[in-house]
Amino acid sequence: MSFRHLRAVIRKEINHILRDRTTFVLVMLVPTAMLFIMAYALTVDIKHVPIAVLDYDRSPTSRAFIQQVTEGEDLDLYAQVDSLDDIDNLLTRGEIKAALIIAPDFEHDLLSLRGIPLQIIVDGTEPKSGGFAVDHIGGRAEEFISEALASRIRALNVNVSLDSLQPIDLRVRALYNPSLKPRVDIIPGLISMVLGFPALSVALTLAHEREHGTLEQVLVTPVGRAEFLLGKMIPYIIVGLANVIIMPAIARVTFHIPFNGSFPLFFLLSAVFLFAILSMGMLVGVFMPTQPAALALSFLVIFFPGFFMTGIFFPIASMPAEMRMEAMSLPGTHYATITRGVFLPGVGLDVLWPNVLALLGMGIAFTAVAALSFRKKLG
Amino acid sequence: MSFESANEVPPIIETHALTRDFKKTRAVDSLDLSIRPGELFGLVGPDGAGKTTTLRLLAGLLNITSGSAKVAGYDLARQPEAIKRKIGYMAQQFNLYGELSVLENLSFFADLYDVEVSELRERTERLLAFAGLTEFKDRRAAQLSGGMQKKLALACTLIHQPEILLLDEPTTGVDPISRREFWDILTDLNLAGTTIVVSTPYMDEADRCLRVGLMYEGRMVVCADPQQIRARIEGELIELRPDDWQAACALIESLPGVLEVQTYGNLLHVLVDSADKRLPEIETALRKHGLTYRGVRRVTPRMEEAFISLIRRLEVD
Amino acid sequence: MFKRIWSLAAKEFLHLLHDWWMPSFMLFGGVIELLAVGWATSRPMTNLPLMVLDQDRSAASRAIVTALENTGTFAFEAQAPNMAAVQDALDRSKVNAAVIIPPGFDSKLASPTGRPSLAVLLNGAESTPATAALRAVTGAVREMGQRIALRRLGLDADEFAGFDASLRVWFNEALNEAFYTTPAELGLMLEFTTLLFAALSFSRERELGTLEQLLVMPFSSLEIIIGKSIPTILVAFSDFVLMLGAVHFVFGIPVRGSLILLLALAFGYLLVELSKGLVISVVSRSQHQAFLLVMMVGMTDFMFTGYAAPVESMPRVMQIVANVVPAHHWLTILRGILLKGAGLDVLWPNILALAVLGLVIGTFSLRYVRRALD
Repeated sequence: MSFRHLRAVIRKEINHILRDRTTFVLVMLVPTAMLFIMAYALTVDIKHVPIAVLDYDRSPTSRAFIQQVTEGEDLDLYAQVDSLDDIDNLLTRGEIKAALIIAPDFEHDLLSLRGIPLQIIVDGTEPKSGGFAVDHIGGRAEEFISEALASRIRALNVNVSLDSLQPIDLRVRALYNPSLKPRVDIIPGLISMVLGFPALSVALTLAHEREHGTLEQVLVTPVGRAEFLLGKMIPYIIVGLANVIIMPAIARVTFHIPFNGSFPLFFLLSAVFLFAILSMGMLVGVFMPTQPAALALSFLVIFFPGFFMTGIFFPIASMPAEMRMEAMSLPGTHYATITRGVFLPGVGLDVLWPNVLALLGMGIAFTAVAALSFRKKLG
Repeated sequence: MSFESANEVPPIIETHALTRDFKKTRAVDSLDLSIRPGELFGLVGPDGAGKTTTLRLLAGLLNITSGSAKVAGYDLARQPEAIKRKIGYMAQQFNLYGELSVLENLSFFADLYDVEVSELRERTERLLAFAGLTEFKDRRAAQLSGGMQKKLALACTLIHQPEILLLDEPTTGVDPISRREFWDILTDLNLAGTTIVVSTPYMDEADRCLRVGLMYEGRMVVCADPQQIRARIEGELIELRPDDWQAACALIESLPGVLEVQTYGNLLHVLVDSADKRLPEIETALRKHGLTYRGVRRVTPRMEEAFISLIRRLEVD
Repeated sequence: MFKRIWSLAAKEFLHLLHDWWMPSFMLFGGVIELLAVGWATSRPMTNLPLMVLDQDRSAASRAIVTALENTGTFAFEAQAPNMAAVQDALDRSKVNAAVIIPPGFDSKLASPTGRPSLAVLLNGAESTPATAALRAVTGAVREMGQRIALRRLGLDADEFAGFDASLRVWFNEALNEAFYTTPAELGLMLEFTTLLFAALSFSRERELGTLEQLLVMPFSSLEIIIGKSIPTILVAFSDFVLMLGAVHFVFGIPVRGSLILLLALAFGYLLVELSKGLVISVVSRSQHQAFLLVMMVGMTDFMFTGYAAPVESMPRVMQIVANVVPAHHWLTILRGILLKGAGLDVLWPNILALAVLGLVIGTFSLRYVRRALD
């Protein structure tokens, strides 16, 4: 490995990135802008979910219950309807996300403590707002039952405290994210996804040199394969690291995400991740002859998996075994663990070392395979 | 000095049955080539004859399908990296970094070729001066004219003072003045001892080479010095400028003693067995058919006629 | 004119054959990706690692653990020896939840007025599984509590119909996660394929210097645009049909509405995205730039589709913006036809919106690209 060769390639590549201002601005801006846009989408708190109510009971109790359900900003009473057909129609049009149906003997059953005969119909294609409506109605129903029970007990005048009717005192505490807001952990996770973007740029650079013929002139020089590939990657690691400084700041200032760990450690581990993911980009670049091909393949092996399969949105533990293996072989999975760990519990290397080792191993393996598969030949 | 008497000097480039196949075609077919140190060797042939593939093979840019080759004493298949320090290769199209300046391109290649840092400054300045690029050294390569781009590319291939230069049509698309300058540079380099292998579509350039190889369908069909190639033309040459060249061409081809008629725009080159005998006959025939013409004369055959004549004969076979 | 357009399109197809990587990735990559992502993520949350610190070791504590296991949400990871082990496992994100059963749990539960506490610690660093864990724990504990409460009140459990509302899920009776995720992913995949393919069309020729050559040929700019768009349209549309087949046959996503209507609207939507892609294509000076712009545009659209966050919960301004994003209407249409069996009578507002947006974007694109080419 000649340091001089490496430095020459790095300098050339940096000049290449800097000289085309528009591309430079985009390369720098896109990851941060993406984080900003997606983080913003995640800060949207679900409220004002439209529902319809079909009240067969029409009793004072049912009216009180409806009143209680639609109070506040969470659910909006879109319509009181008279038939199931109306509900069907409204759900199909997407005008409501859920419907509450109160059975004819609602008041009777509730007051005699036989149960709470109500039905919720929910739009199964909208699980976010639908699920929210179900949880909300369920919660209100529980409160309603407690009140009914309390009055019933008072009427019976038995020596039972209300507390003992909820015999298990469930105390839930969510560590690191007390109100379990998705954005608190998904935003750090997304950093791993958007930091993968430079890898797509790296995949393009080799094809760019192929298409423009500049590769031919480099191939006749004595430059080493690893020197050339690393030299092309390092400038993009620098670009990525600039984003590593900006992104936690945005997460903290704009979206109020805590950062409990050590920033120098985070910076260092981000560099390791960038090395791993950019090697992956380089590997794609080595095999793809043109820029569109390199782009298409890196979309398939870097972008989409980085989005869906790194455990940011969907837990890896719940994936099928084969997909779990696939997820563990993606650099983004390990880095997402690192970002969440450093941001939230604020853990250090003592906890994260297996992920760091995995990233280092991937980076070295991908670079080695790329350098070995990269023939200093044309065609 | 004649090279025939210098046989004891080992060749600097030597190939034996060098062959390269692409998917559907055999681009280079059993090439045997021997080039001595200090030679200026020209590669000519029609498009697709395998000139570029030959040069790329010698530069180590392509894998060999079969056969063997030695360049600068190293085996081409086994020691391509060792060869790279000894050669300079310049591709047909502009292959430098357009967004880098002239100077940045030069220093990039200087670094990759490990040019001694102590010599770097002096050598860069000399090459810039030599290529006439000193005042443009901060201009981006993409903004240079075609001729200047070629000279910059040559300067970049010379930065490590290679023993062998492999140049693929270095003057294609360059204006005549730049072309001449470029060849003056090549001649100087050659006189200084650099071995040069150059492919060219221009026969006047081939004429400046010490030896010329004519390639056709991947094979080297003739390899000799320019005089010998010219001498291979059978018969003598008459040049004339008829007003209706198509009719004149058809007529002359049917005359006895006419071996071949070549057209150059509206000029006709007629190869005949004996010019003294056939020239009056042609003039008579043209007059008889009412075909007017100007400037009929005997000329000595050039590389160009020799080349076309050789190719024609190959195409007939 | 058709002959000339055809000759241009034929030239494009030759290029595609020569550079076959790109079209084949576009064609089959989307399908493979959709299957892989769908397979990995379209399932209920199960197998979440759970840790138990049982300081009671009684019948009741075992009953709690069994009840939690029966929810199907958890995979029992380990019995923790002490609190420090629980904290450590949560710090390392080794478990999503931990249940701590205090000493005396059983005896307190047995006494008529006893109210033992049960602590649940969740790993908030992974909020999605933590929320699922919370829901499962709450449900299991409440059910258990109810049974005990009824016993204490001396009520007959058989007569009691339960305090849970009955839930019916329409359009997705089996609560199949795939019904929600895969149509959205299918719609997005179509958007990205079309945008990317279209965005590379002119930027690539410009970068490689072949655009000038194309422009000096005797074609009108309209012919050039159409000729270059035909391969994009064909590849993207075939991709959509393949992906639709894949989600239908592999994930059992129904097509409850009219297939013809769906294909027609997919085609229309594709033209809208194509128009956007062509504008990106002439604005960009290199393929790299075009790719970066596609990312910006595509991901911004993604935010307004309602997939990541419900649009009706966004601030008013954002809701208005969402209405001018074609992908927003496209996803509504796609889900409507596939899952709800909706037809023109229901979807006309979205179709109309898509048509108007298409007309505006298409006209702008055509004029802009023509001016850029002339």
